[in-house]
Formats: sequence, structure tokens, C-alpha cells
Amino acid sequence: MQRILKIAQREYIETAKTKTFIIGLLMTPVIIGAIIFFSSRFSGSKAGPRPPIKVAVTDLSKQLVEDLDTSFDNYNENNPNRKLLLEHLEVKRDSNEIQTRGRDKLRNGQADVYIVLDRDILRGPGKIHFYTHKPKPTNVDAFWTIENLFRKVVENRRYKIEQIDQELLAKLRNVPIERVEIGSTDDQEQVQTQIHGIVKMMVPFFFMYMIFMGMVGTGQQMLGSIIEEKGSRIIEVLLSAVSPFQLMAGKILGLAGIGLTVIALWFAAAYAAVRWQDLNVDVSIELLLYFVVYYILGFLFFSATLTGIGSVCNTIKETQSLMMPVMLIFIIPLIAWPMLVQSPDGTMARVLSFIPPVTPMVMVLRLTAGANVLFVEIAASILLLVLAVLAVTWAAAKIFRTGILMYGKKPGLFEILRWLRQS
Amino acid sequence: MNAVLLDNVCKSFGRLHAVDNLSARISMGSVYGFLGPNGAGKTTTIRMIMNIIRPDSGRIEILADGNIEQVKARIGYMPEERGLYRKMTARKVLAYFGAIKGVNDRQLAQRVPHWLRRVELADWADKKVEELSRGMHQKLQFAVTVINDPELVILDEPFSGLDPLNQDLLKDIILEMRNEGKTIIFSTHVMHEAEKLCDFILLINKGKLILDDTLENVRSRQSAHTVSVELEGDTAFVENLPMVTAVKSDGNRLDVSLTDADTQQFLQALMQRARVRAFEVKVPSLHEIFVNLVAPSGVPWRASDAEDS
Repeated sequence: MQRILKIAQREYIETAKTKTFIIGLLMTPVIIGAIIFFSSRFSGSKAGPRPPIKVAVTDLSKQLVEDLDTSFDNYNENNPNRKLLLEHLEVKRDSNEIQTRGRDKLRNGQADVYIVLDRDILRGPGKIHFYTHKPKPTNVDAFWTIENLFRKVVENRRYKIEQIDQELLAKLRNVPIERVEIGSTDDQEQVQTQIHGIVKMMVPFFFMYMIFMGMVGTGQQMLGSIIEEKGSRIIEVLLSAVSPFQLMAGKILGLAGIGLTVIALWFAAAYAAVRWQDLNVDVSIELLLYFVVYYILGFLFFSATLTGIGSVCNTIKETQSLMMPVMLIFIIPLIAWPMLVQSPDGTMARVLSFIPPVTPMVMVLRLTAGANVLFVEIAASILLLVLAVLAVTWAAAKIFRTGILMYGKKPGLFEILRWLRQS
Repeated sequence: MNAVLLDNVCKSFGRLHAVDNLSARISMGSVYGFLGPNGAGKTTTIRMIMNIIRPDSGRIEILADGNIEQVKARIGYMPEERGLYRKMTARKVLAYFGAIKGVNDRQLAQRVPHWLRRVELADWADKKVEELSRGMHQKLQFAVTVINDPELVILDEPFSGLDPLNQDLLKDIILEMRNEGKTIIFSTHVMHEAEKLCDFILLINKGKLILDDTLENVRSRQSAHTVSVELEGDTAFVENLPMVTAVKSDGNRLDVSLTDADTQQFLQALMQRARVRAFEVKVPSLHEIFVNLVAPSGVPWRASDAEDS
């Protein structure tokens, strides 16, 4: 045990010193935090100047010309460096002829947008036709603005025609809702804003993602460390001091420590963010306990798999082809996340809970999403996971023992199966 | 007590019998040279002793224990395929391997600087392993091997990659350890190294043990057969003496091969017929013995066999 701890200690220290660890695992929450912080600071003044956009319009109803002029003038006054230039194409006799002119203007670049208002736009089912020709992606934003300006003009005129009081209408339409989540005692009442709904979705995701990152992020370190020992021919020297099993156990333990460190830091960052934004996130001690249990079991499963894979490969590149199918399984819960959060007691959630590689992620997600998980289900999933961990560790230890000393050609599946049968 | 006991050990790789029914007994407190051509099965045997690979059949005992995991702390093993963590400093590497071999912190505080000095790396103690030259690397590797003050030291090709000065340094340390009562087994195919160090010779070829004796016995058994003489006058009679099997003339000198007869009888026979100017019982070098035993028919040995696979 003493030796396993020594190996774990070295693994921990050497991994904590690598760039991938510091940048990839530690800096990420800092970087994400910084991005959120800065984007929220600058979002208020995000509209920079852009060249004026030429809008040609044909109003077949002939009643909106002045309204449009006023509306656009207003807009241009408020946005002097983002002007919209309105040009009326008058209809005289032949409306088809004028529309052809409008289209030509678009094609030879005299206009960016060409708009036709139907004759019965005010009193019938007429439409606003919005024509563009090879629009610039940077203008898409402005197109929204133009659409809205037109719609507003038509809408306002319609109210006038029908003699509807707009202020009254707005008053009638405003029915405020207050969402309150009551706590276990009355003084814990919390008024919910919209953000709370998002938080409710994100917390389970965060927990699940922590498990994923704690396993997969450190898994890369595991592969790197094994490949280094193999490539630098350190393995045989190590095996003169410890047994293959001690070596494997030490590595797994050391990297589990790395994983827990990273998770603890992420949780600390998340906690700080929650306090800063004054959100109400309710996480029980019980849940954290389950989290740790599921994480450790999940980590053991994953890292045992990786020691097996790492030991039969000679380069990181070789490991990639073997890692692909493994990663595909672990990505399932990440993809299925929204569905799982919405029905944490659904069939899919239940089934995935009992597929050992993804059990930890799915179970933690369900528990945080407030699913009605029976204790029997928790116990059974943990039991199944423990059995799976034992089986994988057994197989990995055998593969590790032989594979770790093989140089050169990567062994085939058949050969690996033969190792498993050896005593 | 036996340091190592091999009992009918076999190991095959596919169709190749890398080690074929090998039995040997290595007793405590001596230096054993484990000799043989490339691919003879030396590394395979050593790896089986260290439980790196498992024998197909047969029994291995090390330090009187059937399970090597129990006694690893008492063994120092330098494999043929060797390396160290490149990003760690020499001092840390040494301390780390000491620690996983069960040396406690107090002992390490004393032994690490001692061994760094002993292998002349004290000035390089805080350099990373990747900054060391190949020879320094090798010496550090040796220090790693013996940091746990092992009773039994197994060195697979310890001299490869060392310049003559460092080879002498290593030999001195090995002899020192022998004087402290440790058992040392080292494999090599460079005979003059073995000649200066070994008490015992184990020679294997094609997976079979073909010689297991003290260096002295090996030498005397071989040496009795060749005598170099210089006579005055006609030397033709020598060929007809009963104990002589072959004569090779080299100017005035004759190299005479004898049957099992005593060299003194041969000398007497010569003195009766001629004046003897010079008489020398030839002590063959280990190199010659090796070549004689391993390639008796002059067929070169196969150079690429078990050890690389």
C-alpha cells in the first residue's frame, strides 16, 4: 500500500505540473468566467457603425409612404452611424413594370433590400414581400430591423383604421406572473425570475459534465503517462520494484486525485458564480455524497479501460483508434442531456442508468434534476457499477501485465483475448 | 542459501525455444557471469527470474522464496530495456525509485547523495534526466538499481553504453558489493569484462545451459590441453609422442594440443629428447573458451533470436 501511495503521489505531482493540466483543466473555468463577464459588460454597446443600407420600397396600397418616411427618419436620427436609406419606387400605371425595376436595382447593387407592400395590406390578407439578392451576412441583423420597422408601420395604421386604443390594448395584454418556489420552511420563499428556470436546467448538466470531465480529462493524462513509461522503457525498471497491479493501482489513484482536485476547483468556481449572481441553487449533502461515489466508480471504470488501451499501444496516435468507440459511449448522455433533464424518470433515463459506463453521468443527472429515483434503483446501479469495475479491472490488469512489455506491433483483438485466458 | 534456483525452466515464443529446460543454482555471496551469444536466452531467463514474463513450465525460487513479489525490496534489477522519467531531476528519480522499493525517507536522505557521489553525478543532481548524456544516464540507472541496498543484484548488459573509465568505475562498485557479501548476476557477451569480475560462469547457448562452473575450473580444464614450447634442434619427434593430438608450428615455436595427459609428463618427454628453451601452459582467454564452446564447428551463431522478441 505504501508503494501504491508513492506511485500515486508521483503521478499526481507530475500531472499537476503539465501544461495540458494547467491550461486544459484549471484555466477553463477561469476562461469561461472571463468570457461571460466580458460579454455581459460589452453587450450593452454592441452595435458598432456599419455602412448605410439602401432600401427600395413599392407601396401598392399607396397609403403608407409618409408613415414609412417618418419611421425611417426616426430610426436614422437614433442610429446616425447605422443609417437605412429609404427610396420609394412610385407606382404609376403598370405595377409589374415597377417591380421589375426594383428587382433590377437589387441585381445591380443600387439597393440592398427591395420591399413590396400588397395593395390590401391594410384591410386584407396582404403581405410584405421582402426581396434580397446575394445578401451580405453582416447585413442579416439590419434586415431584422427593417422587417420590424415595416411591420410596426403597418400594424399602427391598422390599429388606427380599426379605432383601437393602443395604450389600452397594451394594458389589457399585460398579465404579470410571479413564480415562487417555497422552501421547507416559510422564510425560505424565493421569487423566481426567468434565469431560475435556466439555472434549474443547467445545474444537472453541470453535475453531469463534472463527472464527464473528471473522467475523460484525466483519462488523457493516464494514456500519456503510460505511453511515456512504455516509450522511455521505464516500465521494466518500475516492475523490478512493484507488481504490475501496484503500478496500475497507483496510477489510477493518483489520477483520481487529479480528477477530484479539478472537480473541487470547478465546484468552487461555480459556487462563487452562484453567490455572485445571487441565485438559489439547492444542493443537498446527500447529493454531493452520491456524486462522489458515482464519480469514483465511474473514474475507476474509465481509467481501468484506459490502462488496458494504453498498455497495448506505443504512441498516442495509436491509442486514438481504440479510444474512438469508448468515447462514443461516454458522449451519449451529453447528447441526450436535454431529453434526460425533461423526463428524468423516463424509459431512456432508466435504461441508461444501468449501462455501467454511463451510469454515473446519468444517475447524477437524474438525481440533480429532481427525479423520483427509488433507493433500490440507486443501490442496484451502484452494485452493477461495482461489478463492472471489478470485471474491467480484472481484464485490464491482465492486458496491462502483458501489453506493457510489448514493443513494436500493436496486438490484435484475438491475441488480447488469449492474454485474458492466461492465468 | 540459494540466491536463485531454476528448476527445469522452459519458455517458448511461438516455435522458438528461447529457454529450454534450464536448471541452475546460484548461491549467495558471489559474482556470476551470465554469458552467451546474442539470442541465447539470457534476457528471457533474467526476465523470468524477475517475474516480468512467466515460464511455460518449471519452477523459479528467488532468495528462497517462490513468490518474487515478496522479496522485490531485497533485489536490485537493471533491465536491458531501461529508461528513467525524462522530466524529473536525477535526485528526484533516485529518491522516487528508492521510495517505491521501500526505502524510508531517513535512509533516502543519506543514500541518495551517497550514490550520486559514488557514480560521479553529484554535480548533475538537479539536472533533468533528459539533459544527461547517455553514459551519465546509465550510471544513474545503476544507482537506481542499488539504491535499496539489495542483497541480490541482477544486471542485464550493465556495461553497454559506457566508456572505459565508467566501465572501470562500475567494475569497482561491483567488486565492492561482492566484498560486502552481496550476490551479483550480470549478463554480457563481452568476455573480457566477465573475466575480470566473475567467480562463476554460467554459459548458455540456444536456451540450454552448456557451462556452469567457477572461472578457475573452466580455465584449468581448458588450459591443460594447449602448451606452447620452444625446442633446440629437430622437433619432428613431438608429433609422434603419445599424448600429442596436434602440432601447429609457428617459426621456432610449437603450439601443441594434448590429450588429457598431465603437462608435466609432456615436459619430461620433451626433456629426454631435446633441450627445452621455453615451455608455457597456455591459459586460454574466456573469449577463446566461449568461441570454442559456442561455435565448435566454426558455424557463426544466429544473431537474432529470442532476446529481441
